[in-house]
Amino acid sequence: MKIITIIKKNKLIVLMLVVYLILFIVSPEKAVQSLDNSIYYLIEMFQILPVIFLFTVVIEALIPKELIMQGFGEKSGIKGNLFSLLLGSISAGPIYAAFPISKMLLKKGASVTNIVIILSAWAVIKVPMLANEVKFLGVKFMGIRWIFTVISIFVMAHLIGVFVKKKDMSESITEKEGSILSIKEEYCIGCGLCAKTLPVYYEMKNNKAIIKQIPINKNEMEDMVEMVERCPVNAIVFYRTVEEEII
Amino acid sequence: MDIFTILFWVIAVVLFIVSLVKSKETTISAMKKSRDMMGSMIGEIIAIIFMIGLVLTFIPPETIKTVLGTSNIYFSTVISALVGSITLIPAFVAFPLVGSLVDVGASIVPAVAFLTTLTMVGIVTFPLEKKEFGTKFAVMRNLFSFGFAIIIALLMGVVI
Repeated sequence: MKIITIIKKNKLIVLMLVVYLILFIVSPEKAVQSLDNSIYYLIEMFQILPVIFLFTVVIEALIPKELIMQGFGEKSGIKGNLFSLLLGSISAGPIYAAFPISKMLLKKGASVTNIVIILSAWAVIKVPMLANEVKFLGVKFMGIRWIFTVISIFVMAHLIGVFVKKKDMSESITEKEGSILSIKEEYCIGCGLCAKTLPVYYEMKNNKAIIKQIPINKNEMEDMVEMVERCPVNAIVFYRTVEEEII
Repeated sequence: MDIFTILFWVIAVVLFIVSLVKSKETTISAMKKSRDMMGSMIGEIIAIIFMIGLVLTFIPPETIKTVLGTSNIYFSTVISALVGSITLIPAFVAFPLVGSLVDVGASIVPAVAFLTTLTMVGIVTFPLEKKEFGTKFAVMRNLFSFGFAIIIALLMGVVI
């Protein structure tokens, strides 16, 4: 059973292993050549990987995201646009990891334009990834692509801001999201951090976190809020406002 | 190591020390968070790099050069943008992949189109986006991103 889950989790690498094994039997020469090619890029990758890791850590630890998040409402103008760009650029993870946080900002009053900027910047212009781009494609390539991309994002965001109004999205913004504590299954990456930190409330089932129990007293709330913030993909939804009513 | 990599190393290490001095606790919790995120990707990264090895061995550089370089650039750019829209690989591994193709002679125009749509346009994540932000927003954002990806790519081709 355990072997099957390991294979399932690493489908691609198992596939590559099989391909290389077959290749070594059929044509050892080609296999060695492929291995040589790969090792070159593998070394390059491992030279830059720790840098990406450190940048991600430093950004997370040093930049006060909460401060940036206060900067963009409907009338925040160009400053709001720049703050959105900044927030997107310093965040980690794929674009869908930006959905929950963007939606929260939208509810709190961020404009459609700024949401598009956050999502797009989150997708394409990540600061740690710029180092990676320079490594494999050169500094000139990275710089020019960055400039064009930033301009495009601003133009695109304002165009979408004209076409799409908040009322077009109202249904998805105002929808009720269930109980005070829930996990958005489609975002959970199954890292198990919540189950490890707070095993009383969370457990892992089929590689996804599920809620075991809803916290009731105030001390537990503090742990819970901290956990919600630590979730690497912001998949945990927790309403603090409702909490007061319960107590 | 080239000069830029060394430079990035120096900046990263210095900032990391600053962060440690400022608050050891926050830094360590940030490290845990990044480790969890990157840890889940590392297998995929290695696998794709081994795939690059195969591609470079079995597809002769001349073929890559003609298909992604000298033949109809508009056509290959649109195709690359489409491929980027439907694939869901971390941007992480996209750079060595694209870099390896450019190294053997692929044009940068389709390369840029692919890199941009890969991260900005998401066919696979579309249902999720639609659910969170409504159909109109999701359709608009993805269409515009696709269009701009091609514009950025063509402009890059002119400048570089």
